[in-house]
Amino acid sequence: MSGLSLLVQMGLAALLALSVSLPLRCGQLSLATPGFYAIGGYVAALLSTRWQALGGAAATYPLPSLLLEMGVAALVAGAVALLVGRPVLQLRGIYLAIATIALVEMLRVLNLNLEWSGGAVGIFAIPQPFAGPGGYLAFTVLLLAAWCWICARLDRMRLGRAMAAIREDELAARCMGIATTEVKLTAFVLSAVIAALAGVVAAHFLNTWNARQGSFDASITTLAFVVFGGSRTWLGPVVGGLVLTALPELLRPVGDLRLIVFGLVILIGPALFPQGLITPERLDWLGRAWKSQGR
Amino acid sequence: MSGTPLLALTGLAVRYGNVQALRELDLEMHPGELVALLGSNGAGKSTTLRAISRLVRPSAGGITWRGRPLARASTEGTVRLGIGHCPEGRRVLARQSVATNLELGAYLRRDRQGIRADLERCYERFPRLAERRGQRAGSLSGGEQQMLAIARSLMGRPELLLLDEPSLGLAPKLVAEVMAILAELRRDGLTILLVEQNALAALAIADRGVVLEAGSVSLRGSAAELLANDALRASYLG
Repeated sequence: MSGLSLLVQMGLAALLALSVSLPLRCGQLSLATPGFYAIGGYVAALLSTRWQALGGAAATYPLPSLLLEMGVAALVAGAVALLVGRPVLQLRGIYLAIATIALVEMLRVLNLNLEWSGGAVGIFAIPQPFAGPGGYLAFTVLLLAAWCWICARLDRMRLGRAMAAIREDELAARCMGIATTEVKLTAFVLSAVIAALAGVVAAHFLNTWNARQGSFDASITTLAFVVFGGSRTWLGPVVGGLVLTALPELLRPVGDLRLIVFGLVILIGPALFPQGLITPERLDWLGRAWKSQGR
Repeated sequence: MSGTPLLALTGLAVRYGNVQALRELDLEMHPGELVALLGSNGAGKSTTLRAISRLVRPSAGGITWRGRPLARASTEGTVRLGIGHCPEGRRVLARQSVATNLELGAYLRRDRQGIRADLERCYERFPRLAERRGQRAGSLSGGEQQMLAIARSLMGRPELLLLDEPSLGLAPKLVAEVMAILAELRRDGLTILLVEQNALAALAIADRGVVLEAGSVSLRGSAAELLANDALRASYLG
């Protein structure tokens, strides 16, 4: 894998980590992210390969078509999240996790067996909107930056504060007049939209899409990003996604040992940093250190 | 008392599965009253408050607010109407600052200036919270956390405050402090439904009292009557 391609993968992983972290910010352990990622990828794959008009005359796939796919993917994933979210978000903790895993598996089995999703083979020859990984990288970085900005803004918005309150004490949050069900649903829908957008980019980038893209394994991997990076800030999941995606590649020189080292990092990380690598307290401390350095 | 009551419970009943937590409770609250809801553990006191703020659905009976039924309201809706519920066990957000806790109490309000003014008033009323406004709520003492919980409920500008066991786990001196604040709030015109196990402390500041036993009303009357009641003295006041 070229360096640029790895960077694209890292960016997509960071987006998926943000997707997992949003429900977690209101205390909801949802593992549905790969399911919505798969939906996004299928929307992109189907639209770009079956709808000729989107292709245009140029050698590369037109950017407006890509944006249109993203819009459709966001709508579809958001609608599914809205539909599924209401009953599923009644569940808590491990039960919610299992229900969302079931959702991912149901989508996977459906995609594996349906005619229009290409069955087990999947969809091939997804057109390329960019000539090389450089274009994908720029696009992914923009997308990631936009979502980082939104997630950072959340901290100062009513929605973000309501989410934090629900995470700490749902009953207290209800007593403050926070419509907890709606807030949780909003976080779930936002999470679905991020994952679907990442799926759109990934489908083009990988050139092919199939049912293996959204699996239980991916649920656990994306959760690991967030646990490793820390779920209390927007930066934590992003760092987790970037680092844990880069690590197996960076460890290539150690050969077969790399998976063991990778496993050890995932194991030791949370043991040393139970709240993840990045916490608000550590950020504050860094910020203060930075300021005093400047003076 | 005359006029439409602020809050009226008629035949209110709540069951949790097979357990009848509350049966046939009738209660009217008029503006400016402080009513103490007394009884031992599991008597149905907290359940009553939870039913009023729609945290649990009653199995029978009705709740009206200013004469209008609350049957379809959500908890959010009751807060909007002016019912503030300060739940048992303080439940401050330990990781958030004192100031953030207070601001979250005004979550449904949009009048920034009013919120700021109320915040100042609240710091005047609770000077210790003012000193600790930037501190994490979890670092406060039990008494301070209780003050914060009450102050947070007040930030929602309720007309009726449902207060669940504010004396729980507090030293006698702090209990007296909390009760003094409630008496002051009552003088300022707030209507308060106070759930307490500490009957003596509650009746000292209440207008009336209702005693629950295993989900049913066993005794009710003015604070003075209840304080003079031998049966009550024997079972709750020692």
